[in-house]
Amino acid sequence: MIANQLALIRRELWEHRSIYVAPIAVAIIMSLVSLAGMVTASAFDNEVRLAILGASNMVGDAERQAALTVYFLGTSWVFLFTLAILTVFYTLDSLYAERKDKSILFWRSLPVTDAETVISKLLTAIIVLPLVAVAAIVATHLVNLVVTSIWISIKGGDAGHLVWGSVALLDNWLAALVVTFASAMWMSPFIGWFLFVSAFTKRMPLLMAFMPLILVPLIELIVLRSSYFAEAVFGRGGMMPLFRGMDMEEFFDEDHMAVKEELIRLLAHLDIAQFLTSPSLWAGVIVCGLLTTAAIYVRRYRDES
Amino acid sequence: MTSLVTARNVTKRFGDLRAVDNVSFEIEKGKIMGLFGPNGAGKTTLLKAVLGLTDCEGQLSVLGLDPFRQRKELMRNICFIADVAVLPRWIRVSQLLEFIESTHPNFSRQRAEELLSRTKVRGDAKVRELSKGMVTQLHLSIITAIDARLLVLDEPTLGLDIIFRKEFYGNLLNDYFDGERTILITTHQAEEIENLMTDIMFINDGRILLDSSMETLPDKYFELISSGEDADRARQLGPIYERDVFGKKVMTFEGVDRERLAGLGETHTPSVADLFVAKVKGAAA
Repeated sequence: MIANQLALIRRELWEHRSIYVAPIAVAIIMSLVSLAGMVTASAFDNEVRLAILGASNMVGDAERQAALTVYFLGTSWVFLFTLAILTVFYTLDSLYAERKDKSILFWRSLPVTDAETVISKLLTAIIVLPLVAVAAIVATHLVNLVVTSIWISIKGGDAGHLVWGSVALLDNWLAALVVTFASAMWMSPFIGWFLFVSAFTKRMPLLMAFMPLILVPLIELIVLRSSYFAEAVFGRGGMMPLFRGMDMEEFFDEDHMAVKEELIRLLAHLDIAQFLTSPSLWAGVIVCGLLTTAAIYVRRYRDES
Repeated sequence: MTSLVTARNVTKRFGDLRAVDNVSFEIEKGKIMGLFGPNGAGKTTLLKAVLGLTDCEGQLSVLGLDPFRQRKELMRNICFIADVAVLPRWIRVSQLLEFIESTHPNFSRQRAEELLSRTKVRGDAKVRELSKGMVTQLHLSIITAIDARLLVLDEPTLGLDIIFRKEFYGNLLNDYFDGERTILITTHQAEEIENLMTDIMFINDGRILLDSSMETLPDKYFELISSGEDADRARQLGPIYERDVFGKKVMTFEGVDRERLAGLGETHTPSVADLFVAKVKGAAA
């Protein structure tokens, strides 16, 4: 059972190389962009030296840490966005491609059940893809920190103090891990829906997946003059219960005109307990389970001829 | 003799259409059963039912299992090539072997690689880079390396040239078939497997027209080539089908004593293709 799952998930990575190619490409682009930024900035040598001097002597530890964390957060969001797009395309293709290229009969000639196959695709979407995203986030952070330190050293700054001493790496990465996996869980009803559409549709999975998400709320609004469906679907795109305790204004202590040090810890802003006890999280997980089951049944019972 | 496949009153409906209509048959261990039928006769539906790919009414037992409900167990001991094109095009040969090795308990990767080394199929090639004939070689090598009790082939050589077709059946007999294994095969090219089959079954409109061993076929069926008054006399004995060849009448008889036609013309055993036409057209008439 587990051996089969590992083999099936490895197969997904062979078939859908974009799962790791896309994050690697984004990581390379982001590293190149920051490198280009430094090269450009080098043209203003005096200003750079002044800035490094200022950062070294005038800016407090907390502010430097806050600045680096904001930069890290930006990088992480780019990968989360990449992950979202990848997940949509991967799940929509996962059960559609095998029917399009007619390989489904071959896969079904092996001693692997339909449930095992569909579950391997679900696991790839909610575990493997987020893991790859987190790995890409960590790698990009490291590459950029190393490049930045080398550059600062060349310019005569103390990189150890300015960069490595100021950044809460573990806090950033754990927060990225939590947010990435929480997002996958939170968005799991969509993953289930995409898997179902992928197993079900005869053509144009992208259109078939998104059309009902737009038409159903519209019809509900016209016929019933209500918007429960729209709120359930699009409301999910808003704030996760994970971020509910977060208040951006608290970051800055106006009385002392400084960043509050204890609030820079990203993990402190994530309410994992509230997230895991939120009924709407588990309602979503149940919807995902039901739609995945539907996808299994479609693969099992549909006659492909 | 143990029966590997037992069908009792198997029916498969698509709406009002009965693609398979109350069919009963058995396939015994060690046999090579050829299944023939025109397009839309229900061949593929019947094979799908045997493979557990579609549910059906009636009793169907394959290797003692319910094929639809126990498909995973069934697939450990059964192999099939449904169409030459079904291998995924994006996969590398080595990845394919690795995947089957880790999911199929009865697959020998070493054996598959040994068989492939005789062909031009390279391990690092992707399936999409292979010619149609090479894909079939690959598929047959995989199937041969699986220690399965029943092999189901549905038009395995469709679209292949004559050399690959001959080679396919040659390899099938030499490498795969050992008298212990059982094969169920459908093809349009009846003449290719005529000398290979031990048993034969015709299906048309979802019903079985003929189910016989090849050995007893000459006892039951023969053709008479005749003309003129002899032909008229022969016709009174009720041939199932009659056709004209070079101005002579060729009549196909079923279950008639050959001695009774002695002197009316030349008799011989019909080819599978001719018998097939006679049974299908005769049943329609």
